[in-house]
Order: sequence, then structure tokens, then C-alpha cells
Amino acid sequence: MEPYAIAATVFGLAMLFLTTWEFMRRKIGFLQYSFWMALWIAVTFVGAVPQFYSALLFTTQALGMYTPIHFVTTFSVLILFAVTYLLGKRVAELTEKVNTIAQHIALQNSSNIPSAMQHRNRDEA
Amino acid sequence: MASEKGRTTGVVCVIPAFNEEATIGRIVGEALKHCGTVIVVDDNSEDRTAELSRKAGATVIRHVLRLGTGGALSTGFRAALRSDFDIILTMDGDGQHTPDEIPAILDPIQRHEADIVIGSRLLGEPGSMPFIKRVGNKVLSTAASIACGTRITDSQSGFRAYRRELLEYVMHRAWDYRWASEILVLAARADFRIKEVPIAAIYPRKRRKGADIMDGLKILYSTIRRS
Repeated sequence: MEPYAIAATVFGLAMLFLTTWEFMRRKIGFLQYSFWMALWIAVTFVGAVPQFYSALLFTTQALGMYTPIHFVTTFSVLILFAVTYLLGKRVAELTEKVNTIAQHIALQNSSNIPSAMQHRNRDEA
Repeated sequence: MASEKGRTTGVVCVIPAFNEEATIGRIVGEALKHCGTVIVVDDNSEDRTAELSRKAGATVIRHVLRLGTGGALSTGFRAALRSDFDIILTMDGDGQHTPDEIPAILDPIQRHEADIVIGSRLLGEPGSMPFIKRVGNKVLSTAASIACGTRITDSQSGFRAYRRELLEYVMHRAWDYRWASEILVLAARADFRIKEVPIAAIYPRKRRKGADIMDGLKILYSTIRRS
């Protein structure tokens, strides 16, 4: 087994356990869990049983890549770019909502704004 | 809007503030000589900004987390619109603006010549305004002028006065520094009249805050997108 294969297997398994642990503690939902599990299983297989990807050889070569590992890593990176983009978008949406709520709370707690009429009456008195 | 004891009762002054304990008390005190009410929007300061503002006579609204200058002003505007003020004035809490210039800012609105009055640091002597800020301001003001269809020399000035009807009709959505150009473009599109008056540009030596290059690029992009 090549050193990179050992590193990929260990990393894949560790993340697989961590993701399952987070799912069991209800920290992540089922959809998120399924997506990440598929990714970690793919990473683990790259290291542990690289011959598994020989089935992909035809597709890989059709796409102009020499080996299945190139195919897996390239598409994993592309998928992660997409995930990062979607997360960024989600964070922006949530920030907008949190800011709106914070403003709403501030306005609710400030019911004592004096009016111009009060000032006029006080000045006249 | 009768003036009594030197101050205009129909005017509310909104001051967005974040960690301004060194200057806020003096600014509130001086603003109260000209405005009936001063609202300080404390943008989740870590110092005594809220306490000192209250002591100086301001009504304080506090954010539970930091929203940015645009967010603080939008909170202040919404609070002011709940009441019956005719004019909403805004100024910075860091001492960059001189409260003695408030009457000059209010004058064009009181004489029904404008719906927004901007205190322009570049109409008079630019004073201690740093060169890089002056260049950035020039670029952003040119973009704002094109988007608004009228000449604006200081689109980023926070020393402004608004007629109530304008804020009832248009309100910015940006939480950060983009608010300054956004509200001008929205107002110009709705045919409100924009006027500028010269003000002094005071830049305290140890001023840490203010828009940086990234903020400038964001403002420029958002203004171009709206034009």
C-alpha cells in the first residue's frame, strides 16, 4: 500500500466516524449526512481498494484523465467548490435574517422615543 | 417646527455609534442645543458609549449584535419615523462632524429647497481629510452622481438631513457603508431633491474606523449596479 493510500484511508475512516457521530447526536440532518458519507466512502475506497475504480476507467479516459484517482480527486474538488458556494450563500441569507431580527429586537426595546409634540409642550410650559 | 431656546423641536438627530465613549457625550450635548431629540444607536459597543450617551441626554437604542453603520442608521430612522419629527438629521459620533453646523444642514429643508441635504467635506476646504480618502471619495461620488443624475461631491458623508416624507418613501437595505450611496440613488430615482452644503472635514489623528478599500469597491459595485 502506497503512503498516500494509507493517508487517504485513515482520513476517510476518521471523517466517516466523525460524521456518523455528529449524525447520531442530531447535529446534522439526513441529507447532509448522506452527502458527506458518500464522499468519505469514496475517499476511503481510493486508498483502501483503488482497483474498485477500475470500473470507472472507461469514463475516466473518455474525460481525458489518465487514472481513476484523477477522476475522483478532480470531481471531489469541484463538488467541494459547489458546496462552499452554497454554504456562502446560505450564510449570507442567515446573516440577513439575524440582522433583521436584531434590529427588530432593538426597536421593540425602545418604546420611549420622545415626540416633537412633547418637546413643544415642554418648551411652551 | 418652532424654534425654542435655540433648538428645533421637530428635528431628531440620529447618531450611529460603536465604541465612541471618548466623544459621544460631548457630541450629544452639542447636538441637543440644535435638535429636540437625539437618538444614539449603539451598535453593540464594548465600552461606555450607551451609558455616556444616556447621561448626556440622548435616547439610546442598543443592538444586541453589531450590524454596521447602515444597520444602525436604518434602526435610528425606523425609530424616528415612529414619532412625529419632521426632519431626521444624521451625524457621526466620533467627532468628525461639528454640531454647530447643524443649522446650515437644516436650512435648505426648512426653506423647502431640498428633501435631502448632504454636508459635503469636499465643497469647502478638504482640511485634514487624508489624500487616499479624498481620491476614493471622488471616485465614489462620481459614480453616485452618474447614478443619481445630479452632481454630488461627497456621497459618503454621514452628516445629512432628510425630510420625513423621503424616509417614509425610501429606505436603504445595506447594513454596511453602502447605505450612503444606496439611499441617494433611491431618493434620486423617486424624484426627491438632493442638495449639498459645505462642512468642515475633521479627521482625528487616531481615527481607526471608516471605510477601507474593500468597502470602497463594494460601494462602487453596488452603485454601478443600481445605475
